[in-house]
Amino acid sequence: MLKIENLTTSFGSVVALDGVSMTAHESKITTVIGANGAGKSTLLRTISGLESPASGLITWEGQSIVGRKPEDIVRAGIAHVPEGHAVISELSVEENINMGSLFRRRSHKSDVAASLEEMYQLFPRLQERRKQLAGTLSGGERQMLAISRALVSRPKLLLLDEPSLGLAPLVVEQIIDCVNTLCRSTGLTVLLVEQNANTALGVADHGVLLALGKVVADRPAAELKADSSLRAAYLGY
Amino acid sequence: MDTFLAALFSGTSRGAIYALVALGLVIVWRGAGVVNFAQMGQAMFSTYIASTLIQNGNSYWVGFFVALFAGAALGALLDVLVMRPLSNKKKTELLSSESMRAAIPVIASLGILGVLQALAGIIWAAEERGFPAPAAQEGFTVAGSVMPFTSFDLFVISIVLITLTLTTIFFKRTGVGLAMRATALNQEVARLSGIRTNFTRTLSWAISGAASSLAGLLITPTSNLSPNTLDLVLIIGFTAAVVGGLDSPAGAVLGGFILGLVISFVTFYLSPEDVFISILAVLLIVLIVKPRGILGGKDSRRV
Repeated sequence: MLKIENLTTSFGSVVALDGVSMTAHESKITTVIGANGAGKSTLLRTISGLESPASGLITWEGQSIVGRKPEDIVRAGIAHVPEGHAVISELSVEENINMGSLFRRRSHKSDVAASLEEMYQLFPRLQERRKQLAGTLSGGERQMLAISRALVSRPKLLLLDEPSLGLAPLVVEQIIDCVNTLCRSTGLTVLLVEQNANTALGVADHGVLLALGKVVADRPAAELKADSSLRAAYLGY
Repeated sequence: MDTFLAALFSGTSRGAIYALVALGLVIVWRGAGVVNFAQMGQAMFSTYIASTLIQNGNSYWVGFFVALFAGAALGALLDVLVMRPLSNKKKTELLSSESMRAAIPVIASLGILGVLQALAGIIWAAEERGFPAPAAQEGFTVAGSVMPFTSFDLFVISIVLITLTLTTIFFKRTGVGLAMRATALNQEVARLSGIRTNFTRTLSWAISGAASSLAGLLITPTSNLSPNTLDLVLIIGFTAAVVGGLDSPAGAVLGGFILGLVISFVTFYLSPEDVFISILAVLLIVLIVKPRGILGGKDSRRV
């Protein structure tokens, strides 16, 4: 389980996260919603070690992970899919997936091969295009690829940053469904950052509403979804 | 006809060496984002080590392999002692701007070059010395006439081709090679995939160091060895890398062969004095027609 207490991250004089406290519940989907610039991406980037916080605690499975390197945090079981379909365009589809399991290729040799096959079953389109360069994929396929790259590291916690960004509604639905199924069937913990609050709250168990770097609401997703005044004030619809 | 063959063979053999130098530059440029001007200084240093070993009665091959190893070790050492600390200081005032961050390692590499050349002068004295070749440098004799091709040329070309093949297999087929390519292309995604990018960066310095040491070992039999002899090789190798595309290993190799052949044909058919103007002409033409180099840049990667 991931526990965040009083987390503050700033860039120069700009405070992106201002004393955030929250929890990603085990085997549940927790979504962090909020407008552009609310600090959602910074939250995930601080958890995965890409940004270092000014103060505060991040506790993962009882241990503090503040100050650890991103590559060590992945190895501890937290996989981060950053914003914007983060794949390496110049590498092939299969190389992109394999990249995520490189650090396990000696210790878990047979499972590495099995995990690749699982991804191809999960996203058959990636198998069809396995030899193609990732740069030739559509946006949706790239997002699937980025998620696969994260999943083959066999994470216990998946950090997903705006998987719906720039994708057609049908593709968004497919990807969200997939994440939902994974969480329910394998017990994967998911921390889902979304601007598309309706979609995110529809699938999540728990919702955290972020505004200007502060937590405004932290409630069960259904409750948050029903609260029209919060929605109108912070999400603008 | 004889002149043509002579120019072709000597150009191919020289081009193979420039290809190695260019490849070394490209590996560090892609893997660590640094144009390493100290590269041939490192090669000079390890060639001196080989030279000293051979003069003290060891076989050529002992010197050869110790030099390759020393080149790799020196490359790794420079990264760990100089380049890594520099890139970790991103938060300081001096390194706050993007252009300074890119410029400082390059300036540091020039400093390293100066230190290496001075050190070599102190340790081995600055006068030129010869360096042995492992194969004959006289032309083959076929049916009574001397061919313009020596067994040393053959040795150079085959050893470079073997090296290029092994390097390609390493980058394309092994996990560490994939980790290095990923680090070179997108460090953030590489780190999020669990790749230890500090290690892969050091490894690219080591591989580049070994490749340029090999170039030093192969070129000094014909050019002699002094603390400054390899400066010119670096300039040509760098031009080759730019001509081929600084971010493309295949382009670097291509650029190396192109420059080797151009230099050789100009030397044979015009005069050695025209070599520099011809290198400059090649560079200008390529930069005007394809500013990213023949195989460089996004356009070619997309194909």
